[in-house]
Amino acid sequence: MNKPAKNWLEWTVFAVGLALVLATLGFLVRESLVTDDGPPEVVARLGAPRPSPSGYLVPVEVSNAGQATAEDVRVPVLLDLPDGAREEAELGIAFLPRGSVRNGWVTFGADPSRGSLRVGPIAFEVP
Amino acid sequence: MPTSRKPQPGRTVGESFREYGRGVAGGLLFSLPLLYTMEVWHAGFIMPPQRQLVYVLAALVMLLGYNRFAGLHPDSTWLEVAIDSVEEMGIGLLLSAVVLLLIGRIAAGQDTSEVVGRIVVEAVTVAIGVSVGTAQLGAGGEDTPPGMNERGRGSFGGQLTLALCGAVLFAANVAPTEEIVQIGLELSGFQLAGLGVATMVVGALILYFSDFYGARRWARAEGALGMVRGTVITYAVGLAASAGILWLFGRFDGAGPTAIVGQTVALGVASTIGASAGRLLLQENADE
Repeated sequence: MNKPAKNWLEWTVFAVGLALVLATLGFLVRESLVTDDGPPEVVARLGAPRPSPSGYLVPVEVSNAGQATAEDVRVPVLLDLPDGAREEAELGIAFLPRGSVRNGWVTFGADPSRGSLRVGPIAFEVP
Repeated sequence: MPTSRKPQPGRTVGESFREYGRGVAGGLLFSLPLLYTMEVWHAGFIMPPQRQLVYVLAALVMLLGYNRFAGLHPDSTWLEVAIDSVEEMGIGLLLSAVVLLLIGRIAAGQDTSEVVGRIVVEAVTVAIGVSVGTAQLGAGGEDTPPGMNERGRGSFGGQLTLALCGAVLFAANVAPTEEIVQIGLELSGFQLAGLGVATMVVGALILYFSDFYGARRWARAEGALGMVRGTVITYAVGLAASAGILWLFGRFDGAGPTAIVGQTVALGVASTIGASAGRLLLQENADE
């Protein structure tokens, strides 16, 4: 078989193309082997509250350490005040792919430092 | 061997550069709707890695087939065809990564698997677009048609390959959308049957009655029976492509037989138009 006649540009494009294709295939093979059918593991963490003109802003960081994508993730954040009153906010995330992190905010009228702030039960769907 | 588009011993750098330029243009032309579709971005992280692997491998096989039967260089050996296919896949991956980055669909906070998934799902159509663009968007100027010799292209296998490429190229643009699910689920059996018949009529129209570029040479029907045969085969290729893509995009997961058939027929419209037009258009020829 005779060697294909190619100039340096064609060899360069081929080399880059081959590297990209092999890297992609290699990555996908590895992923296929290591991922199992486990469910998403959604964890939400609250940041430090800060005052704003519309009340108190609380940053929420939601991550998925599981094996599958979570869809329509609902993260309720509860603020229990000393007088027995409760404020509730909910953060909704359309898609939370595995290994990813998404950030959002919730707001409260009362100062969260006066009460106890916590993440409520999280619900999501698996697409 | 007639004068080929590839002067021996090789092309100049300028010629190759123009060829890649056409490839990039084709890739963007054919796949921009897909690069701008939300469901496709989501498919990148919903589709399991095993299926992404199948998708890329299937795309490479289709590229090999397309380059063999309709590619730019008529006297290519299989080695050259393989090199061209790898190049096109590589350009597809690079191009989809760049566009996704530019439109902010690849960003911080995403896992490597998500980034790769988004790129891979887009790259397959971009790569087929690159391939078609390289072979078809050229100004010509030389009188050799691209692709293999005519015997190879006119062969049944060659026609099937081109029909499949056309079907995938067209169907992939609508397959991941919610609209296909909605149409597939909402139509009654009679409506679906009507849609199927209408699709075949359109397919026959493109193949035999529209005087499309290349229609006389590549889709000469031997009487009414030959016409029915050609139409049915093209529709079958369209349905097969449609079912394959829907499976890859997870549309068959947890779906009952009615939903599976409904969606396949709904998408079959796009894939069959692609398959019929593909058989004629993807093999530009010089018979006039």
